[in-house]
This record gives sequence, C-alpha cells and structure tokens, in this order.
Amino acid sequence: MMRAALAILKKDLRMEFRSKESILAMWIFSLLIFVIFNFTFEVSRLVMLEIAPGLLWVAFVFSGMFGLNQSFALEKENGNLRAMALMPVDGGQIYVGKFLSVTLIMLMFEALIFPIFIIFYDLQLSLEMLKLIPVILAGTIGFTSLGTILSAVAVHTRNQQILLSMLLWPLVSPIIIWSVTLTGMVVSGEVTPAFYPLLLRVGAFDVIFFTLSYMLFDFILED
Amino acid sequence: MSVPALQVDNVSKDFGRIIALRSVNLSVNPGEFVSILGRNGAGKTTLLNIISGVSRPSEGSVLLFGTDPSDHDNKAKLAVISHEMFLYGNLTAVENLEYYAKIYELADATQRIQEVLNDVELTHRRFDLVSTYSRGMTQRLTIARALLHQPALLLLDEPFTGLDQHAIGMLISLLKSQKELGRTIILTTHDLHTAQELSDRYVVIAKHRIVKDGVMAETSPDVLRSEFFSAIGGEDDS
Amino acid sequence: MRSTIDKSLLIILLIAFLGCMFLIFSWVPPIKASNAAEQIAQRIFYFHVPSAWLGFLAFFVVFCSSVAYLSTRNRKWELISVASAEIGVLFISLVLITGPIWAKPVWGIWWTWDTRLTSSLVLWLIYVAYLMLRRYLPDGSKRANLSAVVGIIGFIDVPIVYYSIRWWETQHPKAVMASGDGSLAAPMFFVFMFSLATFTLLYVYLMRKRYQLLVLEDLVNKQFKEMEIL
Repeated sequence: MMRAALAILKKDLRMEFRSKESILAMWIFSLLIFVIFNFTFEVSRLVMLEIAPGLLWVAFVFSGMFGLNQSFALEKENGNLRAMALMPVDGGQIYVGKFLSVTLIMLMFEALIFPIFIIFYDLQLSLEMLKLIPVILAGTIGFTSLGTILSAVAVHTRNQQILLSMLLWPLVSPIIIWSVTLTGMVVSGEVTPAFYPLLLRVGAFDVIFFTLSYMLFDFILED
Repeated sequence: MSVPALQVDNVSKDFGRIIALRSVNLSVNPGEFVSILGRNGAGKTTLLNIISGVSRPSEGSVLLFGTDPSDHDNKAKLAVISHEMFLYGNLTAVENLEYYAKIYELADATQRIQEVLNDVELTHRRFDLVSTYSRGMTQRLTIARALLHQPALLLLDEPFTGLDQHAIGMLISLLKSQKELGRTIILTTHDLHTAQELSDRYVVIAKHRIVKDGVMAETSPDVLRSEFFSAIGGEDDS
Repeated sequence: MRSTIDKSLLIILLIAFLGCMFLIFSWVPPIKASNAAEQIAQRIFYFHVPSAWLGFLAFFVVFCSSVAYLSTRNRKWELISVASAEIGVLFISLVLITGPIWAKPVWGIWWTWDTRLTSSLVLWLIYVAYLMLRRYLPDGSKRANLSAVVGIIGFIDVPIVYYSIRWWETQHPKAVMASGDGSLAAPMFFVFMFSLATFTLLYVYLMRKRYQLLVLEDLVNKQFKEMEIL
C-alpha cells in the first residue's frame, strides 16, 4: 500500500548517497555553527554545559532547514512536483515518502555530528546518554513532519528558503523547546520523573503534526 | 458508440481576478488525435490541467473514460508530455524509469524499460546519469518516461517547443505509432504544420473559449491558417 | 442595504468608543496599587485584553474559513481568511504594543522573555508568515490552497505553542476574569465587558469593510480582463 512512498524514499536516498550533497553540507554547516558560537560567546565551561543542549538543537534545526529546502528544490527542478500531482497515488503517500527520506537523511547527519558535539563540549559518555536517542528521534520527527509539508508549500515561491524559515520556526518551536529541555536533562545527568511524560508529549505532537500533514498534502499538489 | 475517452461539458475556470476558461465543450472519442490550437495564454494549458485532474474546474464537468479525472484509475491511464522533464538528473535513465515503473505498478517493468529505451534510441546510455545527457537526449528520455506505462490517453502540452530536429522526428513517428495502437492523443500547439500532419481533428481556443472545432481531413492548410489567425486575431505573435 | 448596515455600524462604533473612553478614563475607579503610575497604567488592560481575545477570534475565523475553502473551493472563503488574518495580526500587534507600555512603569522593563509575551510574539509571527506567503505567491487557486493549508496548521499549532511555553515561569498577571478572589470588582468587570463588546464590533466592521474591498478588487480586475478579451 505504501509502494509509492517507498519508491520515493528509495529514489531520494539513492540520489543522496550518490551526491552526499545534503548530509555533507548539513554536517559542515553544523560545524560552522559550533565554531561561530565559540567566537561570539566567550563563556566558562560550566555555562557552556548549560547551553550545550540548546546549541545542539540550533545546529540540528538550522542544518535541517537546508535538508528540507534541498529535498523539495530537487522536486521542483524538472517539474517533478507536477509529475507527483499526476501520479495515480494519494498525496498522503507522497508526503510519507518525502517525510521518510528527509527524516532518515537528517538522522544520519545527526549521528555524524553528535560525536563532534561530544568532543567539542567534553561531555561524559555513559549509558545515560542512550536516553538521548528517543529524544533526538522524537524531536527530529516533529521537525521533519511539519517541515516536509511546509517545505512543499514554500517551494512554490521564489524566496523558498526564507519563507520556509518564516513558516517553520514559529510552528515548530514547541517541539524544539521540549527537545532542548529533554536533552538538557540527559546531558546534565538530571533525568527527573518529568522526563518520560515530556518525551511522550513530544511523541504525541509528532503524531498530530504527521497526521495533519498527511491529510492536507493532497491540497498542496492540486492546482 | 462507446463511452468517449474525454467528455468536457461546459467547463469554466476562473478564480478571483483570473479568467482561464469559459464554457468549454469538447468530446474526444477513443483513438482520436485532437490538436488544440491557440496562442500562449489562451487557456490551453489550463484545459490540459483540468483534463489531467490536477486542476479543478470552477464550473462544468469533465469525464475521463466515463469517470472523474482525479480517480487513480484514470491517472494511471494518462501521460503528460510538456516542456517540463519530470526526470531526476542525479539518477540514470534506468533508475528514473524504474522509479516511475514502481509508481505506476508495472508488472513487466524490466522489459518495458528496455522497450521504451530502445524506442528512443537511448539503450547505449541507459546507465549514465541524466545530468550528463545532451538536451535532445533528455527530451527523448522524457518521451520514453511518458510512454512507459502505455497510457490510453496522451496529453501533449507544446511538446515540440525547444526540441531538436532529431527529437521532433522521433516524437512524431512515436505519436504516429501510438495512434495506430489506438491511443487517444490530445496535443496543444501553435505549430499548424505538425498539427495538420498528425491530427484527425482540430480545435481552436481563443480568448478562453473554443471558437472552432473542425475535421482536419476536410481542411486545407491554407484554410486552417486563415481560420487560425482570424480566430486569434492577427499573425503578429503566433 | 449593505451600506446602511455599515453606516449604522460605524455610528454605533463611534458612540461605543467614546463611551469606552469615558468609562475607562473617568468612570471606573482605579485599582489599589502601590504607586500612581501603576494605577494609570492598569487602565491599558481594557484595551490589551480585548485585543488579545479578538486576535484569537480572528485566527479562529481564519481556521474555519480555510477548512470551508478546502471543502468548497469558493473564493469567498479565501477572501474571508485573508481579511481575518490581516485583522488578527493587527489586533495581536496592538497586544504587543500595549503590553510593553504597561510593563515599563510596572515591571520597569519593556520586554521580558516571559511565557505570555513569548507565545504572543510567536503567534504574531505565525500569521505574519501566513500573510508573507500570500504575498510571495501569484494569485490563483494554487495560492488559495497553499494558504488554506497553512491557515489550518497554524491554528492547530497555536494551543501547542501556548502549552509549550507555559513551562517557563510567568510574571504576567493572571487571567483575572477566572481568578476566584474577586480581584476584578463589579465596575471593572462591566467596563471590561463594554470594551470587549466594542472591540468585537470593531472586528465585525473591519471584516465587512476589508471583505467588501477584496471583492471589489476582484470585480475591477475581472472587468479589466473582460475588456482585454473583448
């Protein structure tokens, strides 16, 4: 049933692995964010530890924007967005395909930048750190589920990149706020009882955003 | 008489300040080749968008093989060739076609891909990235992609614009063989010569209306010319 | 008919606003506050809170008309969405302006990254983005579809934004209407309701006018198109 979604996913991943354009650019961009941050704010190690979670998500989200833009610029280039409107499949399936490819590419990039983050901010590796996996997963899915549909909206304008930022930032802010809070708990080793309910909440809103976008995607393809 | 391949009844498309079509009626029988003639901006592309189910008419109804154009069954029977390529430069010809084969659920994908690549003479380059193709080759691949799922209805939106001579010749001969296979073809163009060569019927759109619906065989090139230019008002920017 | 309604609306509005001014600045007794500045500043509450409520109402109308648009494809609903989004942004802008005017004498600062302030700003940003999107797209059914989608997602996101930012502590005065200790005395309540009614009337009036203008724009453009065609 998800045949078309998987075909889109396969096609996107194949192109990404061939050019590595998105992942590489996102990775270097994140590195730049860390470096620039270091230049612009001179803070002690203690303070650094406190702002590290926020910085990590700034890097994720700014770089993620690039991935989202790239993903739909690709579709617009040769009129492929119109080809998608002509396909004998639901818009929802096309959404799922694009969502999966954007999410997987972003997760791969996050896995590659995370070690650098650990080194730069001298974080202690422990089993506790594994709790970051569901946090990053939930935060990323929230970001990409909204990001995919809004990127498909923004791609119709000439100022695609700035418009995507304007649309996505305010709308996705709840997910980012919670993800930063959760990441902070894990990094500082203070996982309170509030951790799991909050994580669950992020997951719940992921589901809401995903379902909403799934239902609305047909209207974006239609002329 | 069987169900018409396409039945457009009193279709208008206007939206706010935009008027694109006004009460258009058109009926196309299966196997017919119809050319839609008209100047740019007259509403040809809007009509094709409505026929292909991408755009909705504000008034009137469209039936494709007796059902709604946005039905998946209908979309699977349809192919569009326009100046847009619908291809990914970072994939090879075969990968592009495999992708579309999966979307259109082709049972004999590998074989069909070989066939269409052969038809457009691209077999020798099939494992090269599309971005390394010349313009003409890309255009031929676009045609191959459109024919891949053996569409019962072909919609061609100014397909000759920007094609090189080789690709034009190839497209014309492919269209002729498609017609022999009994496919229904609708072509928009402002190239009267090609329209005359290929089509059974012609329709002139001017000022968002159909102003002439005639049989090609009964119309001499000169009559067609004069009808066309009087309908669109002047020869200046045809 | 339409113009009579508008005219009478306008007259009622003018009288109501004059009434508001009188009630707020000379009739209603000042609150018990430690300093005079705060007593004066407090009166901004009668503009601030109704603006916020009307902003929400306007965005709710954007949501409803966006849903209506996607189910009917009627241009009317698109125009109502735009009109309401514009007016909503206007009201929330008023909230963002009146807030700091009150905060400066009372808190001593214009702005703080407080729950309510931040979420109001994010709300404002969401609908400014909606209007910007429309600005960047050419008129047509595509634009209508895209902006309706954003209008729907945007509104569903609003409570989530408020909810998420609640995590921070707030300095913002409690929603007084709801608090149990009777902090809003009867005359204050009356003035507040009067002001709210006046603002609602203003919203209705602005909506009517903006909508009529948009319809007229369409009509004029269509006439030009017809002239071109003929």
